[in-house]
Amino acid sequence: MLTYTLRRILGMLPTLLIISAVCFTVIKLQPGSFTDQYLEDPRFTKETVAAITRQLGLDQPAIVQYGRWLWGVVTRLDFGFSFASNAPVITQIGERLGWTVFVALLTLLLSWLVAVPLGIYTAFNRNGLAASVANFLGYVGLAIPDFLVALLLVSLTLRLGSSNVGGLFSPAMIDAPWSWARVGDLLAHLWIPVLAVGLEGVAGLMRQMRASMLDVLSQDYVRTARAKGAAQQTVIWRHAVRNAINPLISLAGLSLPTLISGTIVISIVMNLPTIGPLLYESLLNKDQYTALTLLMLSAVLLLIGNLLADLALAWADPRVRYS
Amino acid sequence: MTTLPAPAAPATPSPFALALRRFRKSRLGVIGGWLLAALYLSALLGGFLAPYGITTQHQGFEYQPPQALHVMFQGKPMRPFVYGSKTGRDPVTFAKTSVPDTTTPVPIAFFVRGEPYNFLGLRTTWHLFGVDPGPDNNRFYFPFGTDQLGRDLFSRTLVGGQVSLTVGVVGIIISFTIGIVMGGLSGYYGGRTDNLIQRLIEVLLSFPRLPILLALSTLIPASWPSTYVYLGIVAVLALIGWASLARVVRGQVLSARQVEYVSAAQAVGASDLRVILRHIVPNLSSFLVITATLSLPGYILGESTLSFLGLGIKEPMTSWGLLLKDAGNLQTVGLYPWLLLPGLFLFVAVLAFNFFGDALRDAADTQSR
Amino acid sequence: MMHRSTPTLLMLSALLLSGLAAAAPKKSPTYTSLGVAAGKAGGNYTLALGDSPQSFMYYGVIDNNLGLVAQQLFDGLVEFNLDTYKIEPALAESWTISPDGKVYTFKLRQGVKWSDGEAFNADDVVFTYQQLVANPEARAGDAGNFVIDGKKVEIDKVDANTVRFTLPRPSPAFLLQQRYFIMPQHQLGKFKGAEVNNAWPTNTPPAEIVGTGPFKLQSYTPGQKVGLVKNPNYWKTDAAGTKLPYLNSLDFLIIRDPQAQVASFLAGNIDQLNVTGAQFPDLKQKEVAGAAFKVIRSTALFGSPPFVAYNFDAKDPALAKLFSDTRFRKAMQLAVNRPRIIDTVYNGLASLPGHGVAPVNKAFYVNTTAQLGKFDLAAAGKALDALGIKDTDGDGVRNVSKGKNLEIDLTYGTDSSVYPPMATILQNDFKQLGVKVNLKGILSSKLLSTGLSGDYEMILHAFGDQPDPELRKPIWQPGGSLYYWHRSLQPAVDGQTPNIAKMQPWEKQIYDIFDEASTTTAAAKRKALYARWQLLFAQYLPVTPIAKPENIAAISNKYGNYIYNLGVIPGYNPVPLVYQK
Repeated sequence: MLTYTLRRILGMLPTLLIISAVCFTVIKLQPGSFTDQYLEDPRFTKETVAAITRQLGLDQPAIVQYGRWLWGVVTRLDFGFSFASNAPVITQIGERLGWTVFVALLTLLLSWLVAVPLGIYTAFNRNGLAASVANFLGYVGLAIPDFLVALLLVSLTLRLGSSNVGGLFSPAMIDAPWSWARVGDLLAHLWIPVLAVGLEGVAGLMRQMRASMLDVLSQDYVRTARAKGAAQQTVIWRHAVRNAINPLISLAGLSLPTLISGTIVISIVMNLPTIGPLLYESLLNKDQYTALTLLMLSAVLLLIGNLLADLALAWADPRVRYS
Repeated sequence: MTTLPAPAAPATPSPFALALRRFRKSRLGVIGGWLLAALYLSALLGGFLAPYGITTQHQGFEYQPPQALHVMFQGKPMRPFVYGSKTGRDPVTFAKTSVPDTTTPVPIAFFVRGEPYNFLGLRTTWHLFGVDPGPDNNRFYFPFGTDQLGRDLFSRTLVGGQVSLTVGVVGIIISFTIGIVMGGLSGYYGGRTDNLIQRLIEVLLSFPRLPILLALSTLIPASWPSTYVYLGIVAVLALIGWASLARVVRGQVLSARQVEYVSAAQAVGASDLRVILRHIVPNLSSFLVITATLSLPGYILGESTLSFLGLGIKEPMTSWGLLLKDAGNLQTVGLYPWLLLPGLFLFVAVLAFNFFGDALRDAADTQSR
Repeated sequence: MMHRSTPTLLMLSALLLSGLAAAAPKKSPTYTSLGVAAGKAGGNYTLALGDSPQSFMYYGVIDNNLGLVAQQLFDGLVEFNLDTYKIEPALAESWTISPDGKVYTFKLRQGVKWSDGEAFNADDVVFTYQQLVANPEARAGDAGNFVIDGKKVEIDKVDANTVRFTLPRPSPAFLLQQRYFIMPQHQLGKFKGAEVNNAWPTNTPPAEIVGTGPFKLQSYTPGQKVGLVKNPNYWKTDAAGTKLPYLNSLDFLIIRDPQAQVASFLAGNIDQLNVTGAQFPDLKQKEVAGAAFKVIRSTALFGSPPFVAYNFDAKDPALAKLFSDTRFRKAMQLAVNRPRIIDTVYNGLASLPGHGVAPVNKAFYVNTTAQLGKFDLAAAGKALDALGIKDTDGDGVRNVSKGKNLEIDLTYGTDSSVYPPMATILQNDFKQLGVKVNLKGILSSKLLSTGLSGDYEMILHAFGDQPDPELRKPIWQPGGSLYYWHRSLQPAVDGQTPNIAKMQPWEKQIYDIFDEASTTTAAAKRKALYARWQLLFAQYLPVTPIAKPENIAAISNKYGNYIYNLGVIPGYNPVPLVYQK
């Protein structure tokens, strides 16, 4: 198992190298330059652009820029400098990482807590009214673009006279020390983005769980267990659910990169201090090292997610063995 | 035993007929199927169903709310008609106002001549319905109202559907072609080809979807005409979609290769391509159809997200995503809510695809019954 | 010739002479015409910030969001009168200009203290100019303005309270430019050369960020909020002599999306917001319905009137020839439906534009509305016919030459509330004229770079108006670095003589006007020169201005003394006068 894990991790390195090269090429292929966005400023002159270009190393050939970045990463874990923030990329990401992971994990957790039981329920009560309603809501969740969900929720919140639109805290609470009031304020703000991001996830997961549950229920061993006269509860939990959840483990691994990408659109609309908007803006502004590092981060998360899922699967499912 | 008419020995139904029978049992699936048929038909006939051109600006009719259809005029029944209206500006708020003119009914006419459009390469001026613009050219029928520039939203929604509904289809064709060929090659030949393609797939699957979608769509040159932009968007969406499919196809091919009739075909000297296309792909067809149906909504939503972020379809073309971008702000939700109607179409289309695809999957899946 | 700056100053100097006060706070003018009244102290005011500031070093990063914060933390030597846009004393109490117009001597205000209690003096000013403003390595410095005709402007400390600038030649706009924020030498003196760019990163302890402005930094929460509190050492008082600012604290909430800003304003999380004509009706309707805010229209001087420009050097030689022809641009102007654009795009909240000068700018504006003409497609068609641009093949599109249609690509910004509808209206009207327009949407932030690269045929864009045309010289003087519709005039190196030989006669005239005005010191003569320029502009249309949008702001009813404030205009800061009712 350990050798398998190590081999997988070593195998990631060439993949990551290729990904970084491709991402860098994509970023470099965009027309224009980072300094374009400053041209409107009256203080901007050709000398200034020359000075900035030189200071940022943008006058070097692209391959040299990439090589330097890679060397920095490999030798001292230096992921380059964010032009737009005038700070190391790591600092930039670090400032936002906490909230990003918090919002995304919370959403992920809640959507699992809601979706898995719902999936099981709808699988057992295929024709019941409640199941049909849940099923339908699941479909609805999949069908509304998330930016629209966010907009409608904001509009609704305003109409209801609440001031908790956008952001994670009320203005007065932003730099207040932690207290129960602050936690309450956070929760009062958090539900909109969590709902908007989570809706889609819940719908997808629920359907997956339902399908996988139905699959398992028709398997021979479940029938055998039932025929043996095992209690219904035992059949459900010991046999059916335990097996039906396996495909979802792989799915969970795949959802690791949504820590970054899942909240891009919602974070822009709802003004959350997360990494998503940073990625979006760094791509638009050609803030190349920030964009590159964030793309790499998502890729690493995906690869690690896959690995973790495979390992978890081996642990949960005795039939899966790696050598 | 009571006598029952002896059942005739049933003819064994084909698997397809069985699947169809199972599909018909899913009410949502059938509804979804009909909805899709209606949507695609309306997109196909967009120019004919639309009363006006999508870029025609009706000056003086900006932000006109949807006009209700009436059949009773001053207490008497009449053929369907609408009321004309006068638009103005509120002197204080500067909001566009519209007052219906209930003195004169404007009857709806069917099969009328209007603005020219192209239908399957033919230039024609026939429209399903319309109203007589009147001597002062100021009578119109806007079923969904108009936008900021006085363009008919109903026409724009129908024609926008052509883009939104085909982005997925074209994208799927591209990504499936690549996916089938790559997966087929990989599974059929194995060895070094397999290894190489597997590496490629692995790398592609390691790209996070939305970020790379954003990165690639910023690459589409702004100077491209809108049709190229459309193709660019489709290509971007398709490019990142084929890898997972290729992986599944490879697995299926691997197992199919062991099946006897394939070995037989190989033995009699059928060419590789023929074996893949004639003997292996048909086996996968139900899987492919279902996967296609279920991945189409992703394309439709992907297009709308890109357009919403300003990286997708651009004027003068239109799409549901672009129409929603116009509506995606608070003042529109507050003052001109009818501009959200294209969102309803998007919603229905995605919903229908999911209903339809799920029903198809259930129908094709014989195990879980 | 001695220039006493304003009557207020005379009065202040008189006070000084009579020995009433060693420290001389500046009394704010009364501004009764702007509705300013005596306020009451205390309260908090919250504004929106479009993104996190990249640093707190104003001269280290070119960042509009930092600018918004910085103008509450720092002051310049001079500032604008909020009503008349005339230059008034700020950190400089008075100044003299030598008779030859080359030597500017600034007498600094006595008794001004930095927010940490240190005394402000001439060393700070000399440091700011030498190591920051005129430092070519500083990313957001303005070194170019301190080299005139290839020679450096000399900056000297005369005594602890006097600073002298010696220019190689007279430059009448020099005084107007001295609104540069003065920075504390005792905090920043250790940074040299390019190091200044890395001074004061966003994680600097707030106590180290020291200024003379009305507020000082108290806290910064990345991605969420910048918190400022009243600077007790601020040097300005209201007209009655009460210390400013009235407010106790000023917060900036970081909200990127304009829609989210509106939502936050409606929710009462922010107290004031600048909005567009498109947003006006919705907000005004809410105000009429009893919401606790007002939506205010004002015709402030600043703000960017959009124009359409044709590329004289378009890649297609036939188009380039056409676009360079004044008759063509004048014909096309007749097809620009300004009233409809003002009505549809701005909800009626805009007016006809000036030519390079805002109509409200009393000091320089000349009425050029007659030259704008009236929307008249028939007349435009006739004018094109006269140019020989006719539809020869009967396909509804005019032909540039045999078999070649008149097709123009129009570049515009897609992520804006004004450019897309404007572009669509132009496309629609030009089509009726027989001119085919293809829309090319790009991000608004890329408009200028696209213009400068010359890779466009026709472009919708805007430049901000300024009180003095000299400040817009790089835009409107042919051959200037931003005069991108006729790029072939630009010199190979910034600051060298442009390609005069290629100028059209009227461009040469405008070029000479700007050169002459930039060394003329007599105000009346400058005004006459710039008046001639505006008329030439209106007549020959280097670009075709479309409309001058009104400035619209929404302000919570909790506050008094609100004066419209466009954004980052150093020296134009009405916030100290705002008070909470």
